[in-house]
Amino acid sequence: MTPRLSVVTAALLLSGGALGAQVQRQQPIPPAATPVPEISIATDARISRVEFWLKALLDHEQGITDEALKTVASWWGDDLQTMRLDVNALLRLMRSPGTVRFSWQSQNDPKPRDIRYAPAQLQRLRAFACVASGTAREPACATILRQRGLVDDDLLELAIRVQDAQDGDNFVLRRGAMLHTDIAILKPAPTEPRSAAGYSPGSGGYRVLIQDGRQMNLSQTDDHWEIARGLLANIRPADSSRPAPGRDEMVRRWYRATATWMQDAGDHETQHLDRARELFPTDPDILFLSGSQHETYASAAVQSVREGAVLPAGVTIEIGTEARELRQAETFFRRSLAAKIAQPEAHLRLGHVLGELNRHTDAVPELEEAIKSTSEDLLRYFGFLLLGTSQEALGRYDDAQASYERASTLYPTAQSPFLALTELARRRGNRAAALRSMQEVFDLPWSQFQRYDPWWDYDVAQSRHVGDLLKELRQPFLNEARP
Amino acid sequence: MKVPALSMAAALLIGTQLAAQQPMFSTRVEAVRVDVLVTDRENGPALLGLGPDDFDVLDNGVPQKVELVSFEQIPLNVILALDLSDSVEGDRLEHLQAASSALINGLEKDDQVALVGFSHVVTLGAALTSDHSKVRQALGDTFASGDTALIDGTFAGMMIGESDVGRGLLIVFSDGVDTASWLTPDKVLDAARRSDVVAYGVVVQSRNKPEFVRELTSATGGRLYEIERTSALDKAFVQVLEEFRQRYLVSYTPRGVEPTGWHRLTVSIKGRRATVRARPGYLAGPVSTPDAALPR
Repeated sequence: MTPRLSVVTAALLLSGGALGAQVQRQQPIPPAATPVPEISIATDARISRVEFWLKALLDHEQGITDEALKTVASWWGDDLQTMRLDVNALLRLMRSPGTVRFSWQSQNDPKPRDIRYAPAQLQRLRAFACVASGTAREPACATILRQRGLVDDDLLELAIRVQDAQDGDNFVLRRGAMLHTDIAILKPAPTEPRSAAGYSPGSGGYRVLIQDGRQMNLSQTDDHWEIARGLLANIRPADSSRPAPGRDEMVRRWYRATATWMQDAGDHETQHLDRARELFPTDPDILFLSGSQHETYASAAVQSVREGAVLPAGVTIEIGTEARELRQAETFFRRSLAAKIAQPEAHLRLGHVLGELNRHTDAVPELEEAIKSTSEDLLRYFGFLLLGTSQEALGRYDDAQASYERASTLYPTAQSPFLALTELARRRGNRAAALRSMQEVFDLPWSQFQRYDPWWDYDVAQSRHVGDLLKELRQPFLNEARP
Repeated sequence: MKVPALSMAAALLIGTQLAAQQPMFSTRVEAVRVDVLVTDRENGPALLGLGPDDFDVLDNGVPQKVELVSFEQIPLNVILALDLSDSVEGDRLEHLQAASSALINGLEKDDQVALVGFSHVVTLGAALTSDHSKVRQALGDTFASGDTALIDGTFAGMMIGESDVGRGLLIVFSDGVDTASWLTPDKVLDAARRSDVVAYGVVVQSRNKPEFVRELTSATGGRLYEIERTSALDKAFVQVLEEFRQRYLVSYTPRGVEPTGWHRLTVSIKGRRATVRARPGYLAGPVSTPDAALPR
């Protein structure tokens, strides 16, 4: 059972990327003239926050809610927003040390911002950039770092680690992304109460919490996912002077693992996979997850909220009708299979989607292929159940009955095959058989824990390997935190 | 919809287990019975005291001879199919339990009642029984948890209604939308069109339209009650029972029509203006192809 499902959008982007989220602030009509930039005047506290952020990358232990993570997670609303502005400025200085003017444009807020730093603040940021970019020994940086009080021993240690890693400034980008990933996943409890007043326009996303098909809550959130995506967007291969995250295996693994986590947690964000597909347009895993995301959007639980959500003015849920979502799912599953044909689960889900689209003749061979090419009971169970449905729809009642019975054999305490057999017998006019199958449902143990039906978890079953994927993602970063 | 062929009637008299041993029942329609509510206007008081000669029945447009009209003579089989998902937790569950108890208080001694609960799990709290205390006890044991398999639960309730020859009243309560069923609305509505059971729905008003329950009640000649809050549930449940008791059971043997497929029914009262609530038709016999001739 998926106990809770939420859909979320980011309101800010650290770097470019299309917005296609479920809940989105509608874009105001752009003014005819170039908008006057808003001025953001930095404070010393903001620069200190950047310093702490850099140290947290070293201190944080992957997958653990430690003090470093808790502190960064405690920044929210406008504080987090300005941290993003300043980290963005830091990235500019890492790549272009001579930069003196800094601006920021959020995709959700058309008004650009000019960021102003006092000379001393800018000098501190330059020192941080030297540390974070692995160029501390270069003459220009050495001159800056010789100034007293700009960097402490912790930052010098970071400088050494960056240099030793021989991954250039990717070292900081990767660890920054991993830190914000852990904040998004581990969700440490807030250290202070939060209110909408702490968010300026465009400084947070909206999250719709759905439970049992009802909208339970709509809240503004900090978007650590967007921060992580923005950092990884700057990953630069060793042989390139320009960012090319689409050529980076860690970035691919990150998108695959985090998108899987989102689906496992029912914490959906369309733009996450939109961005993943921009970077990895033919990756079969990313395409498969895109398909299963839209398959979930077509489900009754999500569609019910699409139709009945209560949202503030200017905010919309960007989920299509059931048919549209199913068609999108079909497209992605087909693209995934085109990239890699040997994917039983993609065949299975494509078959399900086709059945939902009432294209049962097309669904049957996909489902048969799924069943034939896997030995995993879970997938075979879904396969037989769904195959039975399509066979029944095609009037192949004997075949349908056999398929439902095979499903029941795989999970004898599951209610769905018995319900299917009851309905089929009822349809065929065999009331005695219908009553017999119905009785099987009623004879199942009362407790849901003793009568598991995998169908209850169909919407998250594709993410059952999430633990392995996260482990694989975190492995290179483990044991790197400072003692 | 069909008055059962002899073999099935015999089986059902002695319970579900034996019924399961019977061969496929006859597809020949021997008689049709239609549960009918007659009021002097929409939502007006029921018109009582009508006899067979007062009814005009058209089966696929062909006039039929009404042979029997029963009123308050057949014990009821009331099946409660109750949403016990997460959304019912707290006061709503207490209101639901109280409303169900109030309904049971209104039953006659020979009336039977059953309880089906559904979250994502479909459970039989109590099988059809005239020992009403068993159902009260089962009600007391209910708790709210999980998602909502409204369609599966409704189907299970309908099947219980069909497991006995009595006059079946299915009362479906839900405060949300289906989020977990295996069965689809089309399949269960199809089954409803083949069933004698009359379904009433009681739902809590929300921004989501209760389309499935609305279609179910329409297909079976029942009625949908939309209440603002669950504190009004007891009134709604008692009202359903009172209304159902005022319905006529009209029987006829079809003549001049095909024995299988969809039969469109028109029921009216001769010589007077009245509002008649009855199922819009029935499906006879097994269908060789799905969705054949079904109304949409």
